[in-house]
Amino acid sequence: MLYDYVERKRKENSGAQLHVTYLVAGDLLQNGHMCHKVAVVREDKLEAMKSKLSTIASVHVYSIQKALLKDSSPLYNTDYDIVKTNLHNCSKFSAIHCDAAVPRVRPDIPRAQTSLQGSSQRENDTDARSAPAVNGHGPPAAKHPSQQHKGIMGMFAAKAASKPQDTNKETKAEAPGVSTASSKPPPKNNIINNFFGKAAMNKLKVNPVPEQPKEEKEVVKPSVVEPESSPNPVVEKPGKRTESARTQQKDRKSKTKRVDRSDNEEERDPENTKRKRKRIKQLESDSSDEEADVPQPPTPEEEKAPSPPHIPALKTELEPAAMEVSAGGRKRKRKRVLKSKMFIDEEEGCMGKAGCALPLSGTHFIDDF
Amino acid sequence: MFSERAAPTAQGLLGPPSAEPPTFPRVPVLGYSDCSGLFRPGERSFGRQYAHVYAVRLAGMRPLLQRRARSRWGNDVVLRKLSELQVGEKCCVVGTLFKVMQLQPSILQEISEEHNLVPQPPLPKYIQPSDELILEDELQRIKLEGAINVQRLVTGTILAVYGSEQDDGRFLVEDHCFADLPPPLPWNGPSSDRFVLLASGLGLGSGSGEALLSTQLLVDVVTGQLGAEGEQSCAAHISRLILAGNLLSQNTQSRDTINKAKYLTKKTQAASVEAVKMLDEILLQLCTSVPVDVMPGEFDPTNYTLPQQPLHRCMLPLASPYPTLHLVTNPYQADLDGVRFLGTSGQNVSDIFKYSSMDDYLDILEWTLLAGHISPTAPDTLGCYPFYKLDPFILTECPHVYFCGNAPRFQSKLLQGAEGQRVLLVTVPDFSSTQTACLVNLRDLTCQPITFSGFGAEDEE
Repeated sequence: MLYDYVERKRKENSGAQLHVTYLVAGDLLQNGHMCHKVAVVREDKLEAMKSKLSTIASVHVYSIQKALLKDSSPLYNTDYDIVKTNLHNCSKFSAIHCDAAVPRVRPDIPRAQTSLQGSSQRENDTDARSAPAVNGHGPPAAKHPSQQHKGIMGMFAAKAASKPQDTNKETKAEAPGVSTASSKPPPKNNIINNFFGKAAMNKLKVNPVPEQPKEEKEVVKPSVVEPESSPNPVVEKPGKRTESARTQQKDRKSKTKRVDRSDNEEERDPENTKRKRKRIKQLESDSSDEEADVPQPPTPEEEKAPSPPHIPALKTELEPAAMEVSAGGRKRKRKRVLKSKMFIDEEEGCMGKAGCALPLSGTHFIDDF
Repeated sequence: MFSERAAPTAQGLLGPPSAEPPTFPRVPVLGYSDCSGLFRPGERSFGRQYAHVYAVRLAGMRPLLQRRARSRWGNDVVLRKLSELQVGEKCCVVGTLFKVMQLQPSILQEISEEHNLVPQPPLPKYIQPSDELILEDELQRIKLEGAINVQRLVTGTILAVYGSEQDDGRFLVEDHCFADLPPPLPWNGPSSDRFVLLASGLGLGSGSGEALLSTQLLVDVVTGQLGAEGEQSCAAHISRLILAGNLLSQNTQSRDTINKAKYLTKKTQAASVEAVKMLDEILLQLCTSVPVDVMPGEFDPTNYTLPQQPLHRCMLPLASPYPTLHLVTNPYQADLDGVRFLGTSGQNVSDIFKYSSMDDYLDILEWTLLAGHISPTAPDTLGCYPFYKLDPFILTECPHVYFCGNAPRFQSKLLQGAEGQRVLLVTVPDFSSTQTACLVNLRDLTCQPITFSGFGAEDEE
């Protein structure tokens, strides 16, 4: 076909010079044996090549160019581009038709692929342990983030070194369901009360009720973290709770929450934990936050730190805006201690007393540890 | 082969296009069965010592060697184990060879502090005149001297030596013999011309594009998009394509990333990723037209120890839906249209090349066939799985075509055996450097190289 075109064009003498490359194939005596050679040659070398071959098997036009080719690489490049765009039809124009080459139906493949994906994601999780910030998207199974968190928390918890805390986490990890979550807080609170004093119990009882509807909202989220939110109010750091709320949405956040929990335990460990918290807060502030910081709004409101500068701080924490969180985070860090004092000062009743008791018992507790 | 059939219509395409271009159906696969089951160990546990490999090798080859010894030195030759040797008595001993080489790279020496050695750079050959041969069996070992070519032999060979023990404790060899060619297989080859194309060392991902046009020409010839009608009809008789290893080039190994700090290499992608994508596209083009067997090689993303397991099909998403793609082990054994093929990607032959004075790949290939073992130097200098039940590299049946990939140049030879064996030995050259592949005609066991070339800036082709 191309040959015909070349002939016609040349006969027309239209002036445009066409350079033709030929494909020559034939036998060539080389190194003592007959070698079948397939070569792409320029037109001017065609006769020379033909004379070298003892038997010519085929000659045809390979390509036509306007410009003289110095090298055969443009031939390959154009061919490559065309082949790439037509990969699945590449045999359409071929002269040989193979009956056996019918692709298998898709269903064979996805089955294998999902198993591969599952395993690869498990590996992703293990890799993400060392890079919590990078793993923004959660793996599909809720189990995976929980195990992942356990791993990370294992690292941080080593410092906190509280076994009940670990069991807390484990129980939380094993309770994906919301319903179980709501039932979990009481027993967990029992455990946590050992840390924080009995008065915390009362507060917790108040909490689960408003938390219920919001917890239901959070069904979709890895609710591993969620049960933790209820025991949180005990902690006199609502900021942390807001953090923990946020951590519910993202795996990372739950990690940070656990970090905070451990930090809560350590509480008064000054710079180290605060530094750790700060870092993690910044990490979570990077993420785009979603609304449902559910348990947090009720609890801080209840706790009601009335002092105005702190309310905005709280509210900023509550609102999921990332910027505010980061700012609030910094403020939070400094104000943490103050808030607890505010509990002591301004909270009334049992909560006040609880607030009163908390820091002391907290510190006590830390000392014990 | 090709040329004679194609010649009449050679100039056919130098004319106006015909109304309906002829199409040729690919010859159907008459019979294919994969006999590489031995090379796929089901459970892989590396808790065992490698001594078991030698034990099963000796146990497996001893009866055969004893038969050979009797046929060569008479039926009444005394067969002894090393522990039963008596000084001065002429007898025959069957055992495993061990070659003591001073230059052999030894990891223990390298890390030994008292030697303070700089690690030895890789040499092309590690032989030295001071090497010695030792014969071992299950219990003892003895030094060999005499009519035995120390330079030529390698560790791990099972052989029978005939001679006597000297006073100084060495064994004076008068003669020795190997297992020789295994028993022949019945011939069921096709009666008409059928070709199998052997290629190896495609070397994708090497960063240099010279071989790419040749690779594309190879694909086009096999799929029938090049050549006049005669050539195309010949190409339709290619019933199979075997890619014998090193599909990826050595440049994709990226060994330096192991030494670099993680923060430098974190964002870089392994070079083999791009190369495997290219391989996938090439395989897709091939699989739509011809059955392909893909064997892994030294630089391919699979395990290092022999037997290398097939490439995983998840790496080739475009090509793996096609049933014409077969991902197979290295070494590979199969019955194609009644002809038994056995071959490796060349690691066994190149390893023997390093530790023996034999220089010619075809000679080495023939020697492994005569020694009755595909790769005697495994596990000593070539990595291999710690077998303990049986050694799958022992040759029990004589193949019809025995090939090795990634050889420096193309060579082929038809070997005739005493018991009627006919073996075609083929060394498949490295395609990335020679642009040559091999066409084996199954009807008469002949082989022809096929070269592809483009034209470069230089005038001379």
